[in-house]
Amino acid sequence: MPDGSMSGRIGQSPVRVDGRAKVTGAAHYASDMAVPNPAWAWLVTSAIARGRIAAIDEAAARAVPGVLDILTHRSMRGEVGDAGFFAGGGYAGSTIRPLQDDRVRHDGEIVAIVLAEGLEQAREAAYRLRIDYAEETPAAGFGSEGAELVSAREASGGSFEDPGVGDADAAFAGAAIRVAADYATPTQHHNPIELFTTTAQWEDGRLTVFEGSQYVHGLKNGLAAQLGLDPAMVRVESPYIGGAFGSRGSLTQRTALIAVAARRLNRPVKLVATRDQGFTIASYRAETRQHVKLGADTDGRLVALVHEGTEVTSRPDPYKVAGTQTTSRIYACPNIRTRVSLLHADRNTPGFMRSPPELPYMFALESAMDELAHAAGLDPIELRRRNDTMREPIKGLPWTSRSLMPCFDRGAAAFGWAERNPAPRSMREGDWLVGWGCATTIYPTHLGAATARVTLTPDGRARVQTAAHEIGTGTYTVVAQAAAEGLGLPLGKVLVEMGDSDLPPAPVSGGSNVTASVCTVVMQACEQIRARLAAAATEGPLQGRDPATLRLLDGALRAPDGAAEPLAAAMARAANGAIEVYAENIPEGLPPDSLKKLYQGKQALGGGLEGKQHVMAAFGAEFVEVRVHSRTAELRVPRILGAFAAGRIVNPRTARSQLMGGLIWGIGSALHEATEIDRRTARYVNDNIAEYLIPVNADVPQVEVLFVEEEERTANPLGIKGLGELGNVGTNAAIANAVFHATGKRVRELPIRIESVL
Amino acid sequence: MTPPNRDLGRRGLLGAGAATAALPLPSGPTQAAVPPQQRPDMTLTLRINGKAHPLTLAPRVTLLDALREHLALIGAKKGCDQGQCGACTVLIDGHRVLSCLTLAATAEGREITTIEGLAGPDGALHPMQQAFLEQDAFQCGYCTPGQILSAIGCVREGHAERPEDIREYMSGNLCRCAAYPNIVAAIEQAKPRMERA
Ligand code: FES
Ligand code: FES
Repeated sequence: MPDGSMSGRIGQSPVRVDGRAKVTGAAHYASDMAVPNPAWAWLVTSAIARGRIAAIDEAAARAVPGVLDILTHRSMRGEVGDAGFFAGGGYAGSTIRPLQDDRVRHDGEIVAIVLAEGLEQAREAAYRLRIDYAEETPAAGFGSEGAELVSAREASGGSFEDPGVGDADAAFAGAAIRVAADYATPTQHHNPIELFTTTAQWEDGRLTVFEGSQYVHGLKNGLAAQLGLDPAMVRVESPYIGGAFGSRGSLTQRTALIAVAARRLNRPVKLVATRDQGFTIASYRAETRQHVKLGADTDGRLVALVHEGTEVTSRPDPYKVAGTQTTSRIYACPNIRTRVSLLHADRNTPGFMRSPPELPYMFALESAMDELAHAAGLDPIELRRRNDTMREPIKGLPWTSRSLMPCFDRGAAAFGWAERNPAPRSMREGDWLVGWGCATTIYPTHLGAATARVTLTPDGRARVQTAAHEIGTGTYTVVAQAAAEGLGLPLGKVLVEMGDSDLPPAPVSGGSNVTASVCTVVMQACEQIRARLAAAATEGPLQGRDPATLRLLDGALRAPDGAAEPLAAAMARAANGAIEVYAENIPEGLPPDSLKKLYQGKQALGGGLEGKQHVMAAFGAEFVEVRVHSRTAELRVPRILGAFAAGRIVNPRTARSQLMGGLIWGIGSALHEATEIDRRTARYVNDNIAEYLIPVNADVPQVEVLFVEEEERTANPLGIKGLGELGNVGTNAAIANAVFHATGKRVRELPIRIESVL
Repeated sequence: MTPPNRDLGRRGLLGAGAATAALPLPSGPTQAAVPPQQRPDMTLTLRINGKAHPLTLAPRVTLLDALREHLALIGAKKGCDQGQCGACTVLIDGHRVLSCLTLAATAEGREITTIEGLAGPDGALHPMQQAFLEQDAFQCGYCTPGQILSAIGCVREGHAERPEDIREYMSGNLCRCAAYPNIVAAIEQAKPRMERA
């Protein structure tokens, strides 16, 4: 559990309150939680992407000593029901339900679960299970016969509208300067270092699941729906999560299956899925193809913007990210047309991966902006300045705050941008071609309904309980800081409990909403406590003071004139012992049923770019230097710099880490990461973390993060904008633009590798 | 660079022939004929963090699974189980080793150090742990035990003289949260303190 004794109010940089647990090995992740005498589960996943299971021979597997049972579609008896697709108001990240019939719908679908006394026995038996398939020709995605293209609008039943304004095609035709190009982004997998694990345990009809989750209330309610249980009978514990990045946000298929296995064996069951299985039993970032057209007048002012994108998804699920919602709103432009389409193929269902809409779509837009700058003979920063706007162009709504150009100016100065020779291939050091590129980054400011319970005891300690999640973002720490601020206590006196569905619900740890959503409600709870103490201070040192002016600070209730009463004495007047309060908050602009939905574990965030009065987002500017070897085309990023404005920064230390990690994610996405698929078999090829390349320490020599001060008054009372997904959005284009500057070659397909620039 | 794995590979026990014969398995004429997975459990004693732990294990159990599933030493993490991520790194006789590629049986008679064994009896953190904490050299913390043990090994090997060396010799430990620059800073902070200690 979190500890720490340093002071750390909002805006200060205490070390993480859970840091000691993490550096001593005391932090318990899901598969570290002890359960009595667990049986082990091992998944068997399909070796084909489309077809039927023709035969299963269990004999050799069952002969392995220690094997307890084997679950297949033949032995499952409809025990797992439908929890509905999350985007349609349900819980599941995929509506594909393994082990329900003999169909195989994608590579690596769960087709059997072996249960045994020990993990070695379960593994061995899984390898001995023989499955014969009746294979059908699968469609892998783009260019595959049998893949079905539908418009996102159609797929959504009309609830999704492609944003647009004016007549973009006519305006483009008449524009003085025009660029038009196609872009492509690959399949990518989150690959958190913690594997996908589930431990299920039944006690007196009550199910406890230990599983790394970005939304314990969603998982709990989804499981209850699948298993036909009262949600009160399900508990999800997830105190620490070994990275998530979106992969643990929605209910996945394995959990209910492991719960069924545990019920059948009448004994806890533990699953640690393998790394390669993780590529197909959870979600991933969908592959896209995009087309962008930009038209500008001779000054570089945009007159037309067209952005079309197509995203691969599974057969049944209309999952989309539709980043045109963002790219159509960033720059001033009177004529905009967008269109998003989905390509249904024989793939597992994609899902949220860090900055889901923005990452692929901003790669295309910000690459095209660089192409436009080049065509117009303008500095790329100057082009953004000429198209900067305090109103988004689709509905004309104001941004609550926007510091894009201050970010560019701060970043450019720190990077030394003025030294850049704009001509491609003009900068060189020995055998290395040097290129400098930049791009805009943006992430919408989302908010969710949230609840929290705060207990203050007379000895000056506080306990905060809220079912938020620690996925590496520093949530234990920032929530503790909010309570320390609200109650005037040292950070070390605040204990935060999270990651447990028995706690008051907090929203999904997605969309970078949690710091804003949860700190807000915790501050409200603290305010209730302050108000109670202040109302009771009618005698003693604070007699006669206006209760509204009393503040909790440094362990005392204090009046503006300096009069003060120690906390214990103030509490003795107000309560007989501890004071416990519960607070719930629906952020402004969210529908009144948001709390109900939160208690039901539904995903319902607001804010961002969907507001009716205004739009809100954090912005930044990213700068990179690339070096491309003139003979071998080896590509390096010796330095990267981001300048970001995200309202009030609760903890600059952890915020910097988030943004730094985001920038490095951007390097990975631009230069390393792609899940390769065999187009004939629709199967993943490099499903391990030696061949799916993620950045290693040697790939990132120098990363610099700058904060640009920004006052946000509207989004939430604390003025916080989320930033966990801000760092990696602009990086892809910044690197591609730098590669163009270095080599004169425009690479429009990620990742950029040696062969792209040869 | 992957941390050196020396001769403690899985192949030692699961492979055929000569390598198997050298290991402390129950001996007997039938051994060659019995597939490794069906060999009876063996008893062994592992010395971990200065304490002896008697164990009865199947010969194919890895050191990582022995630590986590048989001894409740969950600080060592499983991130791939195939030598690709470094999350399972422990020290054996002071050298960094991937415990997922090491059979528990081959670690008998050696001194094993896990993350649980680094802090002093009074709870004082090892200089490397302290530096990771102060430099915010982690986010989710899952790779962290492996990073810290690998970092200690890196310093002891003399591979922490320059930041370029640290980056190279720490590249066998993946961090998906990408705390890399802070990890380098932590090692630079801890190195002189380790050398003084
Ligand atoms: S778990 Fe051992 S290297 Fe990944
Ligand atoms: S801290 Fe999350 S993987 Fe390294």
